[in-house]
Amino acid sequence: MPIFALQRSYKYMMYATKQPSLRINQADLKCKNGCGYYGNADWDGYCSKCYRNHMDQERQRKARQSHSDQTKVSGFSKFEEKKRQQTDKKNKYLKSLPVFRKTSSAKDSGRPERHLDLRQANPDADKLTAEFISLYGVWGEQVRRDFFKCVQSFTTKIYSELENKPIEDIAEMAQKYYNLYSNRVNNTETYQEVTTDVRDELLDFFEKYVMVSLYSWLFCPPSTNDEEKDLIIQERIRKLSWVNAHHLDCCISETSIEVRDLVYTAITHLLGMDSMKAPQDKLSCVVSCCQSVVKVLQHCQGGPVSADEFLPALIFIVLKANPARLKSNILYVTRFCNDSRLMQGEAGYYFTNLCCAVSFIENLTAESLNMPQQEFEAYMNGEITSVSAWESALVACEGMHQLCEHLSLLKDLSIRTNTVQDETKKLTDDILKFKEEMNEKVNSVLERTPLIIKPRKTPELSEKVDDTQNSQNFYLQNLQIATSNIDDAKTKLQLDITPCVSKTSPTDDHSLSKINYDIDFSDLSGESSLAELTPEKRKSPSFTPDPFSPVGSSCPITQAPLIPTKPDDFVLPFVETQETLLEKEDEGPNLPSPIKPMTAQYSGFSKQGWQIPSIPCITGELGANASQANSQTSQDKEN
Amino acid sequence: MARDYDHLFKLLIIGDSGVGKSSLLLRFADNTFSGSYITTIGVDFKIKTVSLDGQKVKLQIWDTAGQERFRTITSTYYRGTHGVIVVYDVTNGESFANVKRWLHEIEQNCDVVNRVLVGNKNDTPDRKVVLTEDAQRFADTMNIQLFETSAKDNVNVEEMFMAITRLVLRSKQEMKERQNITQNETVNLRKSNKQGKKKCC
Repeated sequence: MPIFALQRSYKYMMYATKQPSLRINQADLKCKNGCGYYGNADWDGYCSKCYRNHMDQERQRKARQSHSDQTKVSGFSKFEEKKRQQTDKKNKYLKSLPVFRKTSSAKDSGRPERHLDLRQANPDADKLTAEFISLYGVWGEQVRRDFFKCVQSFTTKIYSELENKPIEDIAEMAQKYYNLYSNRVNNTETYQEVTTDVRDELLDFFEKYVMVSLYSWLFCPPSTNDEEKDLIIQERIRKLSWVNAHHLDCCISETSIEVRDLVYTAITHLLGMDSMKAPQDKLSCVVSCCQSVVKVLQHCQGGPVSADEFLPALIFIVLKANPARLKSNILYVTRFCNDSRLMQGEAGYYFTNLCCAVSFIENLTAESLNMPQQEFEAYMNGEITSVSAWESALVACEGMHQLCEHLSLLKDLSIRTNTVQDETKKLTDDILKFKEEMNEKVNSVLERTPLIIKPRKTPELSEKVDDTQNSQNFYLQNLQIATSNIDDAKTKLQLDITPCVSKTSPTDDHSLSKINYDIDFSDLSGESSLAELTPEKRKSPSFTPDPFSPVGSSCPITQAPLIPTKPDDFVLPFVETQETLLEKEDEGPNLPSPIKPMTAQYSGFSKQGWQIPSIPCITGELGANASQANSQTSQDKEN
Repeated sequence: MARDYDHLFKLLIIGDSGVGKSSLLLRFADNTFSGSYITTIGVDFKIKTVSLDGQKVKLQIWDTAGQERFRTITSTYYRGTHGVIVVYDVTNGESFANVKRWLHEIEQNCDVVNRVLVGNKNDTPDRKVVLTEDAQRFADTMNIQLFETSAKDNVNVEEMFMAITRLVLRSKQEMKERQNITQNETVNLRKSNKQGKKKCC
């Protein structure tokens, strides 16, 4: 730019011609602008004030130039530039306007515009006014008037100081005002009739009202670099989009639909923060977001949630949400929310956590994710990309998202299938093992306690009565069911032992039947049992199906687990004819008695049987069914 | 203000991850240990009102994340805190070794704050590695009260919380007295005092 250069050299010449004179004119010491103050060489010959103005102009000019030079400025920075210019202009305009004072009459020209400004920006204020009247109108005109008086003085004061003071000072002022109003509400007569709860509400409403009124000036004010911070954190989060729940050591399952819904709810709440105006509304967004996070964690780990798990999860949510103007929102709430609310209470706690999450994201390093530096850098440079259901949901297209989701679902499913298969195998093995064990046990018991046939009456018998009493009742009860089911008891309960007993000694029926039940649970004749079935016993309410009951045992199905692989194995040791139970059953009650009354020794078997019932209610049920089935077959037989 | 409490204190629980901070909180606030209890707020933030010397003290206790990587950022939690409970695990020597760092953290973030040292999980003697004598010696040098608790068996938990509450209450009263003295000396401090009372302990 030759002209420029020329101008400069010319300027230099000008100075040069002046320099040699040893005497410096008074005028030369003064500000170049001619404002009357002394200038300074460091300030290009301007006085401090003029220098600042000059520099401002210079900066603006440069900005405009660079703006026109750059044909393509990335979207947001362009917008930002524009905004800054506008605010500069506005500031100038406002500065040119007289400072807002009630008393100054000369400044009337500026005032209506100001009011207009406030009004236009806040259609919400009218809404809030209406809300106030509907909510607190009952407390009288005085309260209302005082409230709006305070609001007015607050907004006016803040508004007038907006240009002159840094935002931190204004925030402090706001806090002071909150305290003032709180004192006023609690100590003045105007509010005497208002209850404590409503007083608190009034304080909250006061805060809400003034903040909504002043929102556009106090949120992300142009005097600060909040917006730049927003952009930085947004960019940062975008770069960290590869971070997943696994990196943060938090257990958020990606495939569960409920969890995903909750995560999206949390994200929505967090994003909603930006659209709220009052600090308390922003806070309540944070609270509902965090509550969703807590629910997610409760869902995933099924227990109480501690901060150790909560913070990583919240960081995850913030990373996935990447909320707009995050920093501005946090700073706004920090500055203008009533301090007491921020330092205590649920909202304060969650907000603090959010601040921590953001600061963690800002300072995130490879170390804080427990990964090697190289890997971290590779991720940051985009050399490695991780695809998970979350990322694809928030970054990639719908198809990709579904694909990823299905992949993880499939993975999940295959794991579950495998476990199911394993479990099945285990169960089969268990069943086989159990069967073998059972056989062994039964055999060993049979071996250990062979049936020794002794004369009917043994002295030990009386000792066993108590023991056998239970089992007897038990069998009788079961028997009763069976007999009531069927018409002809004799054909139903083909039992080998009892008949002979009852026949041999009808007089001693009672004790003998006891013995018999002890020996072989499957042995009950219709006759003897019917003889035993007194009305009280029939009514006995404590009927429980038992696998060893005669009902069950009369049926081949229930016997099945007890019968060894070969039916011949289950041979009653005393039967010489090698008959199995099944065969015996077929032979009916008319068989000659294969045994004589048993000894007390043999009660072991019944004891054993008594302990086993855990085997299966199923067999019991089956037994009940089977008895019917049995009756069917027997009827068929009769026919 | 007419309220259901006379004082409102904010307590902070800090310590390594997994030392049982949340369990202590849960035990104190709900008298449960873990498992099926589902709270509406979550475990990390609890409020309990206790009576102490005839005064009702409302305690709100903040749980913090103890992982190493969050250590630098937890400073935000300390704002407006009245008392800090430093927890270590008696079955974990490392968590005890880290207590010093936690105490340092407190010093950095708060000017004057009441502290207690808590050795949690003191319920299985054969797994205990941090001996009571060692802990006591350390506590004495740091001028801090030591408690060995078990959130599982509910041992010493209540006592510990009451002790820190007492400490906080006492320092608050001391401060009030000091304020009263200054108030008597100077004339026009009434208003600022009122505000001061609300803000700090």
